[in-house]
Amino acid sequence: MKSREEEYKEIFIAEALEYFDALNRHISDLEKRPQDEQILAEIFRLLHNLKANAKAIGYLNISDVSHKLETAFSLIRNKELSFSDEVVTVLFEGIDLLGELIHNIDNASYGDPDPVLLRNLDIIVDNLSDSTIELAKVQRYNTSKNLSLSELVYIQIKKLDHLLNLVGELVIDRDRIVSISRELENDELKNVSSHLNRITEDLQYSIMDARLVGIGSLFNKFPRIVRDIATAEGKDVDLTMAGHDIQIDRNILQIITDSLLHLVRNAITHGIEKPENRLKKGKPRNGSLSLIARNDRENVQIQLTDDGKGIDLTQVRKAIVERQLLPASTVEHLSDTEALSYLFEPGFSLAKEVTEFSGRGVGLDVVKNAVDSIGGRIRIESQKGKGTTFILQLPTSIAVKGALLFEVDEIFYAIPLIHTEQVVALEVEELHEVGGVMVADIFGETITVVYLHELLNVKEQEMNLGDKTKLKGMVQNIIIVSYNNRKLGIIVDKLYRQQDIVVKPLSKPLDAVELYGGVTLLGSGKVCLVLDVPAITRYFISRKQVLAGEHNF
Amino acid sequence: MPTKKDKALETALTQEETAASSGNGKEESAKIKVNEPLLHLIVFKLGAEYYGIKIEQVKEVTVTPSITRMPRTPDFIKGVANIRGDIIAIMNLEERFGIRPDTSVAASDLTYTLVIEAKEYSIGVVVREVPQSLNLAVSKMDKTPSFLQDIAVQENYIEGIAKVDNRLIIVLDMFKILSSDEIKQLSN
Repeated sequence: MKSREEEYKEIFIAEALEYFDALNRHISDLEKRPQDEQILAEIFRLLHNLKANAKAIGYLNISDVSHKLETAFSLIRNKELSFSDEVVTVLFEGIDLLGELIHNIDNASYGDPDPVLLRNLDIIVDNLSDSTIELAKVQRYNTSKNLSLSELVYIQIKKLDHLLNLVGELVIDRDRIVSISRELENDELKNVSSHLNRITEDLQYSIMDARLVGIGSLFNKFPRIVRDIATAEGKDVDLTMAGHDIQIDRNILQIITDSLLHLVRNAITHGIEKPENRLKKGKPRNGSLSLIARNDRENVQIQLTDDGKGIDLTQVRKAIVERQLLPASTVEHLSDTEALSYLFEPGFSLAKEVTEFSGRGVGLDVVKNAVDSIGGRIRIESQKGKGTTFILQLPTSIAVKGALLFEVDEIFYAIPLIHTEQVVALEVEELHEVGGVMVADIFGETITVVYLHELLNVKEQEMNLGDKTKLKGMVQNIIIVSYNNRKLGIIVDKLYRQQDIVVKPLSKPLDAVELYGGVTLLGSGKVCLVLDVPAITRYFISRKQVLAGEHNF
Repeated sequence: MPTKKDKALETALTQEETAASSGNGKEESAKIKVNEPLLHLIVFKLGAEYYGIKIEQVKEVTVTPSITRMPRTPDFIKGVANIRGDIIAIMNLEERFGIRPDTSVAASDLTYTLVIEAKEYSIGVVVREVPQSLNLAVSKMDKTPSFLQDIAVQENYIEGIAKVDNRLIIVLDMFKILSSDEIKQLSN
């Protein structure tokens, strides 16, 4: 594997060469149609990008020449410099020089660009439309140009999506073949299948790798955005960022782009106080906002922290009761993180009190849905007066997920690992029937537990989520899942193993069934249902409420 | 995909031969006048009645593969099955239409699945007996039988009634087989 710098350099060179080709094309067009504003604008744009990219990566020669050319073209655009023959010659030479500099980035013996040509460029820029007599003859550069094609190809993301789908299918078949070859005890088949196994894995990871982009490609847009929002709000905000190099699937990044923008906007407009208020509170005048990406096991974590006014938990608790999401008695005992998780309820933040006092704006449920849709997690930490942190945990890749496999009532299920906290085995005596549900003390924490068979397979009218006697056997396998800061224990019949699975989305019309995030095919050829933890949690809560309601009347 | 379609036709054709040996399909096609456009149906039994689906809507006929139940979906969804790498929903039309199963025939372990390609989705339909292929003249199908007016609007999945040799074949429009209400029901 090449280092990141090496990869960036290659991308820069390839892009720069493309710019160079485009510049050559446009300037030739311009020579024929000097009045064409559109061509001028395009040349201007290309030079500007080239300058910025070269400067960012540290090729000052290139950025310098681009800058000079850009200035010349801006003069032409403003009609301060005529597109005369002499000027055209210098500009052509200047662009050729750019090409040569780009080609020789790796060539240490190349030396400095031709000073005569640089002087010529300066002259046309400085002397404006004056006589151009002083222009010195430069030695013709590209007398024998080498034609070469770019090292980089652009590819539509759609094509990569298709490749990834195909590889997903291949992996499923591979698992099947590996499993058959184990049963058949044929040495030759075993060799072939283990080779197939390795190759497929390689292929899969290569394609996943091809889809990865640096988070920087999104982060780099934020300094400007933050500045604009802060200016509009009359606030001063210092943005710090880290983890530009962290790699993530391009589609995942695309899906969370709006969410991240939303959160950043919220943090500045509602979180960070105006300078005068900050000074009154003894905070530094400038608000600080930090955007940090890091790798967390197989996932990517993005953390957005502001040092604004934070969220007032008493107001949140009050709003939970007012919106009748929970009775007052329960809310009192809600932990802070649990209470904060209610901010993600649809429409919750519309509550006037919350927007006024804690100031978290509309649409956190939209953010949550986006994160859910790619199988990620989001949580809030906040301290009143000190600030708020949003933590997004995102999978690196869409298609392949680590998952826990289990069986309930002879159906195979999988739960993505990103939603599982831990797996425990408890005796039936350790489960208690409380208020129509089962609870258990798991490592000092009281967690609601549900028998998945009861939740999924018993008729809704006959469902009894608090009846221990329905459990089979003495020892119960419980998978603790977590969604929106709320933990739920799921009792399964048989627990199998942890495995990387390729999730196939359900096709229409089944894609409307929320409980399942998709299916996967096991090595045995059996279909395994992938449970959607957010939907299961929601379903459990809604059933619990229905059952509790029946109890009261 | 054209290849799969061909395969479906092939299956259907072989079944046409079986049908002919039992004295059904080919006789019909023989009677058809030249020049008249043909309707090619795949015919199967639900309850005690015959139903037909236009062959263009049938992608494939196969022995029902093993079905994985999907809890909390409507009863007429039997579950999902893996058919040539595609995971599709398998539906029981008898339950969908509330048709009494024919108790006079002993239930067999072996059932058949018609893979239907509707506009937006593929879906499998389980039938008890080998489906047959049947050609008939378009004029043999009554597109607007008067009784259709007595049927509620949401039941307009019946495209027409074909009468062939004293047999009544109810022709289904598979594009309308799952109403939007039912898709909504799926999501609840």
